[in-house]
Amino acid sequence: MVNKMKQITKENHVEEAEATIACHECDLLISLPELEFGQTASCPRCNHLLTRRFLGAHNRILALSISAFIFLLFALPFPFISFTSQGKEFVISFADSIVNMALMDFFSIAILILFTTLLIPGACLLALIYVLISLQRKRLMPYTHQLLQIVFILVDWNMAEIFLVAILVSFIKVSSLASVFLGLSFWSYVFFIICLIASLSLLDRYQIWQKVKQHD
Amino acid sequence: MIDKHRDNAEHNHQYGCPVCLTLNPMSQPRCRTCGRHLHLIKSKSIQHTIALLLTSIILYIPANLLPMMYTNWLGQQTTSTIMGGVISLWEPGTYPIAIVIFVASILVPIGKILTLSWLCLSVTIKKSDSRRINLELYRFTELIGRWSMVDVFAVAILAALVQMGQVMSVYPGTAALAFAGMVITTMLAAMTFDPRLMWANQPNMHNKEKQNAP
Repeated sequence: MVNKMKQITKENHVEEAEATIACHECDLLISLPELEFGQTASCPRCNHLLTRRFLGAHNRILALSISAFIFLLFALPFPFISFTSQGKEFVISFADSIVNMALMDFFSIAILILFTTLLIPGACLLALIYVLISLQRKRLMPYTHQLLQIVFILVDWNMAEIFLVAILVSFIKVSSLASVFLGLSFWSYVFFIICLIASLSLLDRYQIWQKVKQHD
Repeated sequence: MIDKHRDNAEHNHQYGCPVCLTLNPMSQPRCRTCGRHLHLIKSKSIQHTIALLLTSIILYIPANLLPMMYTNWLGQQTTSTIMGGVISLWEPGTYPIAIVIFVASILVPIGKILTLSWLCLSVTIKKSDSRRINLELYRFTELIGRWSMVDVFAVAILAALVQMGQVMSVYPGTAALAFAGMVITTMLAAMTFDPRLMWANQPNMHNKEKQNAP
């Protein structure tokens, strides 16, 4: 869905000014007007995207996060990639790539993959689901602030989409040796990434914290 | 003409929260909306960036010299470094993959290290005329930094997938560790670098620019 971008400078909306914020990249003080749906506010000095508002953003994030989490669960038990060579079939699941690294004495790499491609995106999704359900109730559920804060700190370390590219790279490398098949888990992981990216791109830190503030 | 809204938050003794963008008075230790600990813009942040950057440069050397991957093929063992992996992929049919790996594991890390060094230098010597380009460079490094991890992940998947005993097996090499460490330290260096330092000590920069414009 394409939202029409509209850049708003401070000058045009001085009279509607609601809140003053500081630009995160250049520290300029800006009076931020109340945005209409589909509008975007950027810093007049450094052009940093400050905030944008989408129609029904929080419901859409909730729906996408729940679907992403279900797809992530389906990505675990089934075969990820399989190939046949000389009559023998070789199959790996998602966990095999992590367990195998640990077995080969590369514990740190195994932990890195486990966290950046599975635990961190999974934790972010669960925390987002919790926060958004909490926002739909009259009173906030406990730990809403802390969990939302954790989402914004952890989300920088999500590398799920990079793992997907790595799978495709190794897929092409092996396909010159044998015929390779992508399994059910792989497709589930692809849908997980699509939902995750869609959900994170709708997430706006200013708008969601304003919503949390209203409940305080 | 002094427009106080054009000022930096720091000059008004206020601080924007990095998590929720709420403006807090500088005396406050925690953000009043989200409760995050507030760290003020300090010249110290540049030292953290430089330290992490030096670590990543040191790690980049073994990452390129040591083998990234061992391949056992019919009893013969071959080792390949990062550059060797790119060269071996450079053949008809796998050009796109070779380009992806080359960009992700050679161009991006070098570019990132050079950009961050340049940013640290220009902030320390308080050079302000190339600020706009610097900011674009900073945004770009933050955006693409994670993608260097492709090679490490690909080795992990290959090592799990290609285990056919004597016929062919793949094992990860020590360079994978050094390379992963390098990617993480450059990511941390980019995160600790505070772009607001580029705009610090310039209270009415915007007005000056306006006056200078023809």
